[in-house]
Amino acid sequence: MSLSGLISGADCALPNNPLHQVLKHTEGDRSIQRDRIAGPSSSRLQHLPTTSTSHVSEGNVSMARQFFDGGSPSPAAQMRMPPTDFLRRYESSRGAGLQDAWLKSDMQNQQTVPMGMRDAAWAAEFGAGMSSQQKAQPAIEGPFENMSRPNQYAPMQSFYQPSMSMGMYGMGMSNNLNTMQPMQSIGKGKGKMRDEDFEAAFAQYALPEAQTAKIEEVKDDVTGLEKELSETKLDDKEPLLNDDFEKVWDSLQNGDMPPPAEDMAKWEAEFNQLMQSQRDEFDYESTMREAWEGGLGSYDGMSDTRPDEFALKFNEEGIPLLDPYTFEVDNKYTKLPPDQSALALAKKLLEANGPLTEAALLLEAAVQRGDLGEGGYEAWVLLGETRSMDEREDAAMRALAEGVRLAEAAGSSAGLLSLAISYTNESYEKGSHTMLLRWIRARFPEFSPPPEVASENPWASHDRVKDALLAIARHQHQSGVVDPEVQQALGVLFYTNGEFEHAKDCFEAALGVKPNDYLLWNRLGSSLSNGNKPEEALGAYREALAMRPTYTRAIYNVGVACLNIGAHKEAAEHFLSALSLQDSGDGEKSEQLWFTLRRALVAMGRQDLAEKAQAGGKVEVFRAEGFDFN
Amino acid sequence: MSSVKVDGFQSSAIIEALETAFKGYSEKEKKEQINKTKGIFELHIKNEKGDEAVWTIDLKKAGTVYTGAAKPKADVTINMSDETFMQLAEGKLNGQKAFMTGKLKTKGNMMLATKLDAVLKSVKSQAKM
Repeated sequence: MSLSGLISGADCALPNNPLHQVLKHTEGDRSIQRDRIAGPSSSRLQHLPTTSTSHVSEGNVSMARQFFDGGSPSPAAQMRMPPTDFLRRYESSRGAGLQDAWLKSDMQNQQTVPMGMRDAAWAAEFGAGMSSQQKAQPAIEGPFENMSRPNQYAPMQSFYQPSMSMGMYGMGMSNNLNTMQPMQSIGKGKGKMRDEDFEAAFAQYALPEAQTAKIEEVKDDVTGLEKELSETKLDDKEPLLNDDFEKVWDSLQNGDMPPPAEDMAKWEAEFNQLMQSQRDEFDYESTMREAWEGGLGSYDGMSDTRPDEFALKFNEEGIPLLDPYTFEVDNKYTKLPPDQSALALAKKLLEANGPLTEAALLLEAAVQRGDLGEGGYEAWVLLGETRSMDEREDAAMRALAEGVRLAEAAGSSAGLLSLAISYTNESYEKGSHTMLLRWIRARFPEFSPPPEVASENPWASHDRVKDALLAIARHQHQSGVVDPEVQQALGVLFYTNGEFEHAKDCFEAALGVKPNDYLLWNRLGSSLSNGNKPEEALGAYREALAMRPTYTRAIYNVGVACLNIGAHKEAAEHFLSALSLQDSGDGEKSEQLWFTLRRALVAMGRQDLAEKAQAGGKVEVFRAEGFDFN
Repeated sequence: MSSVKVDGFQSSAIIEALETAFKGYSEKEKKEQINKTKGIFELHIKNEKGDEAVWTIDLKKAGTVYTGAAKPKADVTINMSDETFMQLAEGKLNGQKAFMTGKLKTKGNMMLATKLDAVLKSVKSQAKM
């Protein structure tokens, strides 16, 4: 566009010399690149969560930067490009009619104060497009001009294309100007699929532009103004054009300034949903066919679609329907004198790194004695979290489910994240997503996503949580806040999807704020371990165990890491340590621990010992076999 | 050797490990695993030469792995390449991505396909948060 402007510009000495426009153009380009490719400026880097920890490497920082800034350039960047140039130009030509504008364009160009060298890239380009159209008329002297003119409209169209296609998503014209850049980058590869639709949509919008082109060409052929005015054909079309421009003008005036980040996230979500619904349709057919065929094939009575009586059932939100919590039968703490609070004792014991099994028994007693603590849920939630730390996930989930029910009734988000984590450990991903959504609803109601749209897509719940959490994280990132809970929630979400690299980054970010949280260290470790980095995971577990030597789950995880490295004997010893820690209580030990111990023993080639590693077994048997554990 | 071995497929090793893992379960654990999954997966794996191998993972009734088509009928049939299967098993690719990019195609109960990740993961002990 700038190039053709150069050719046609008879007024190269004027303030808005096309060369000047080129300059503005390249300046604008650079600003966009800075946001999109080069990442944030160094000053913004300081707000990055991970830079505050000493544990992160250069690579992590850049990854975090990519993660936080890759999605969309910050709205600050969008703020910098109000379409002032276009507005000013149009304002001066408006009302007078386009014909007058063409006449005046020479004069007007002289009057226009060179606009500040701000990076109003798109606006400038848009303005340039408008003005080169206007300038076309005074530049008719050379025959060469007529030949080059048609080319002028090609770049015009390609410029319009992105903004018009975005219009499909229900945005005003003014929004398009400001947001087409991020939208495009978000769309990425997926967007290509829609190209045809874009083109079709564009074709509709492009029509009025084509008319403009025609009119100008006609005008170029005439030399005198009088002649031109007498052309009634043209006059008929003028009001039409004006109408069109007026509409655009109005939407520009009435449109809001750059949209807030949450809108961006919403559009993003909408876009993703649209993409998915397409997929669904695609698969729906085969699903139906299969169902039909399945029905036909069921005569032999072999296929059994009835759910098994003993099968673990889930509600429609993916939450497993578990039995209520089972209390220890003979709990000595239930007989505590009434003036002693079992809850207070349990908290004290937990603070002093006491045995987790004892603490859990105290908490059970607290619950049974009605000593429920804050909001009536504190004891339940704490009991669940303690059970989880002690590698007893089943009991943990039951206690947390009750705690969460009470907490939500009291308007608190307590326990929701812990329960999401427990579900994740048990591969109940959908239940985990539901908990994360409920957590968002309790903590950040303003970011709560709209109610679920009935979807065939089994991964829809993941995307909904992801959109909401990313919106929160971006919002906080802008104000320089790192909320360890939000980072943790994001970490859990990535974990459910097997994106352990991202999960690791999130837990590291949370640790940057809470370096003494041994739970977080363990979660970081498990992300590394499940992400096929067991050696690195050991370092994180070491941190956790240094703060909390009786952390049964971390000991179990060390065993798992050893097992995956191939150090089977060490793995078995760690599992035995964990089991003996649980021994301090009278209750049943974790079946998970026995099971994994058995795996380690089989891997060692000790089938004989593996047979002894059954729930209810005695760990001392293994000490005699040469295993060294605490 | 293992009865589920099929030469020329990397996936074979994972399926064998899965078989070993299933054999290592106690009755109770097997039942739990079945209750968690409740489905019969029929896997059609294509290797680079274009050969196809079919395995069935029964986590509905018996808790077994075997070569060939599902008996009784599979709840979900999954088609993918040998390479995709390996990436899934090693956690380098997740089911969602594989599905969205068309690397994994399903017929039947799609919801079950989401559980394939978890089933393959059970070959290896997983760390817990």
